[in-house]
Amino acid sequence: MIQFLIKRILGLLFVIFGVTFITFIMGYFAPGDPITAMLGERATPETVAQMKHLYGLDLPWYQQYGNYLVNLARFNLGMSFRLQGRPVWDILKDGLPVSLELAFWGLLLQVFIGIPLGIISALKANTWVDTLNMSIALVLYAFPVFITGVLLQLLVIWVSKQTGVSWPVTQWGYPWRYTWTDIQYKILPILVYATAGIAYYARLARTSMLEVLKQDYVRTARAKGLREQSVVYRHAFRNALIPLVTVFGVSIGFLVTGGFFTERIFNLPGIANLTLISIDSLDYPVLQATTALLALCIVLGNLISDILYSLVDPRIKAE
Amino acid sequence: METRDQNPSIEQPEAQPPEVTEKQVQAVIEGKVQKSPTPFQQSLRRLMRDRRALVSMCVIAFLVLISLIGPPIYQHIGGTIETADAQKIGPTQYHSHSFQNLDHLDEGPNGLNWLGTDRVGRDMLARLMQGILVSIVVAVLVEIIDILLGVVIGVLAGYYGGWVDTLLARFTDLMFAFPGLLFVILLTGIFGPQVDVMFANTPLLSGGNARLLLVVLALSITSWPLMARYVRGQTMQLKQQQFIEAAKAAGTTDLKIITKHIVPNLFSIVIIAATLNISNTIINEAGISLLGLGVQDPGSSIGLMISAAQTLLAIHPWEALLPTGMLAVIVLAFSFLGDGLRDAFDPRSKD
Repeated sequence: MIQFLIKRILGLLFVIFGVTFITFIMGYFAPGDPITAMLGERATPETVAQMKHLYGLDLPWYQQYGNYLVNLARFNLGMSFRLQGRPVWDILKDGLPVSLELAFWGLLLQVFIGIPLGIISALKANTWVDTLNMSIALVLYAFPVFITGVLLQLLVIWVSKQTGVSWPVTQWGYPWRYTWTDIQYKILPILVYATAGIAYYARLARTSMLEVLKQDYVRTARAKGLREQSVVYRHAFRNALIPLVTVFGVSIGFLVTGGFFTERIFNLPGIANLTLISIDSLDYPVLQATTALLALCIVLGNLISDILYSLVDPRIKAE
Repeated sequence: METRDQNPSIEQPEAQPPEVTEKQVQAVIEGKVQKSPTPFQQSLRRLMRDRRALVSMCVIAFLVLISLIGPPIYQHIGGTIETADAQKIGPTQYHSHSFQNLDHLDEGPNGLNWLGTDRVGRDMLARLMQGILVSIVVAVLVEIIDILLGVVIGVLAGYYGGWVDTLLARFTDLMFAFPGLLFVILLTGIFGPQVDVMFANTPLLSGGNARLLLVVLALSITSWPLMARYVRGQTMQLKQQQFIEAAKAAGTTDLKIITKHIVPNLFSIVIIAATLNISNTIINEAGISLLGLGVQDPGSSIGLMISAAQTLLAIHPWEALLPTGMLAVIVLAFSFLGDGLRDAFDPRSKD
C-alpha cells in the first residue's frame, strides 16, 4: 500500500511538473509583451526595463522557470501583471470560494442523485421507469454544459414569463451563504454543472447493479429466504458501489472542464473565469496558478479514486 | 480475452449458423450458390436494422448537404431590397453570413430572413449554415489527423512494443491526467491572436481561418492518444492470431504484414472511435468559440452564435434557442451513430 502510494504521488508530481512546464513555456513564447500591455505604449524603455527586472522577466527562460518552481514550493505564486503587484494568491482567494462551492454541490448532486437513479433503474429494469430514466440520461450525458445551461435558462425565462415569478438566470449569490435569494441564484448553475455527471453516474450505477444482481451470492441470499429489501440494500447495493468509486477521478475531470462553461454561461466569478480573464490580459502568473490548481484537482481526484479502489477491492493489490 | 487463442476462422461462421431458407435451397439446386455473408456484411446488416443510427445518419447527411450547397442557393433567393441609406442590395449580400443589415435588427423568422436576424442584423440562417460548415470542417480535419497519428503510432506501439510503446503509455497517462480542454483553451487563448496576425496575408488562412486551424491542431493533439491506445490494443490482439503467424512463416515482411493484414482489420475499431470522437470535437470547437477563443466575428460558428445571443437571452430567446438546438441535434446524431456503429461492429456486443 505504501509503495503504491509513493508511486502514485511521484506520478502526481510528474504531472504537476509537466503542467506547470507547459503553461510556463506557452507564456514565455507567447506573443505580446505583458509589461508593455500593463504600462501602456507610452512608457519609457527605462520603466519597462525596471518593471521587467522587478518581475524577473529579464532572466533567461530556464532561470525564470527555476525561480518559479522554487517559489511554488514555498507556496509563493508571484505577483499579477494585470493588477499591478497584487499577489496572485490574493486574487485566487476571490475566485476560489465560488468554484469550490460549485464543485462541492456539483459532486454531491452527482453522487446522491445519479447513483439512486441508476439503482432504481436497475431494480425496475426494462420497465417504462427504466426506459425513461435511461433515455434522459443518454441525452443529458451527450450534452455539454453549455447546451443544458442555455436550454435551462431559456426554460426558466419562459416559465417566469408565463407565471410572473421572477427567477435569476445569471450571477451567483454570496459564497457559502444560504438565504432564499442566494439559493435562487445558486440552484440553476449547480444543477447544470452536475447534469452530465448525474447522467454518467446513473448509467454506470445501473450497469453495475444489474451485473451484481446476476451474481451467485445474490441468488444465495434470495434462496435462503432473505427479504427482498435486505437482499437489495445489504448484499447487492454495497457491491454495486465498487466500480463507481473508480470513476471519481473522471467526475472531477467533468467538474473542472464543466466549470469553464458553467462560469461563462452563468457569469460566475470563479477560478475558470479568472483563467479566461488572465488569458485575455496576458496575466501569466495568474494563468499559471489557475492551471496548476485545476490540474492539481484532477490529479488528486485520480489519486483519491485509486486509493479508494484499492481499499474497497482487495484484489486490486495483486495487480 | 478468452477468444484470443481461438482460431478466428472457426469462431465466426459457427457463432451464427446461417438459416437455410427455401430460396437458398432453390439457389443451390439451380447452381447459383450463395456465399455466406462476411463478418463485415453481417455488421453492416446489423447497422441497417438499427433505426436510431439510420435516422442519425440521415440527419448528418442532410446537415452536410445543407452546409455545402445551402449558402449558394440561399444567396440567390429573394429580390433586391433598399436599405435606409438608399443603397440597393441583392440577396448575395443580405443573405451572406457576415452582412450587417442595420434596418433589420433582432427580427424573428420572416420572408426576407428566413430564420430572422441577430442583434447586428446578420441573417441567422446564413450564419447557422456557416456555423454547421465550420463544425463539420473542424471535425473532418481533426479526425484525419487523429486517425493518421493514432493508427501509425498505435500500430507501431502494438506491433513492436519497446520504447514507442513506453513513450505512448507515458504520454497517454499525461493526457488523461491533464484535461484536454484546458490545454486547448491555453493554446488557442495564448497563441490565437498572434496566429491571426501572422497568417493575415496567406491565402486560405486569412480572415480568422488561421485561428480555426489552431483549434484543429489543439483538438487533434488532445484526441489522438485515445485512438492510439485503442489501435494498440487491437494490434496486440491481432498479432497473436494465426493468420499473422502464417504470414510470418511464409516470409512476409513486417511492412507488408502491417499494411496488408493488420491495418485492414483495424477498420471497425477506428471507425467507431472516430465517430464517437466527432461529437466531442464538435462540442469542443463550439465551446472554444463560445469562450471567445475560436472563430471570431464576422466569421460564424455555432458556439459564437450562442455566445452572442447569451446576453440577450430574456429579450430574444430565439437567437439562443436556434444555435443551441442545432448543436444539440448534431451532437445527438453523432453520438447515436457512434453507439450504433459500436453495437454493429464490435464483436463483443454481438450477444
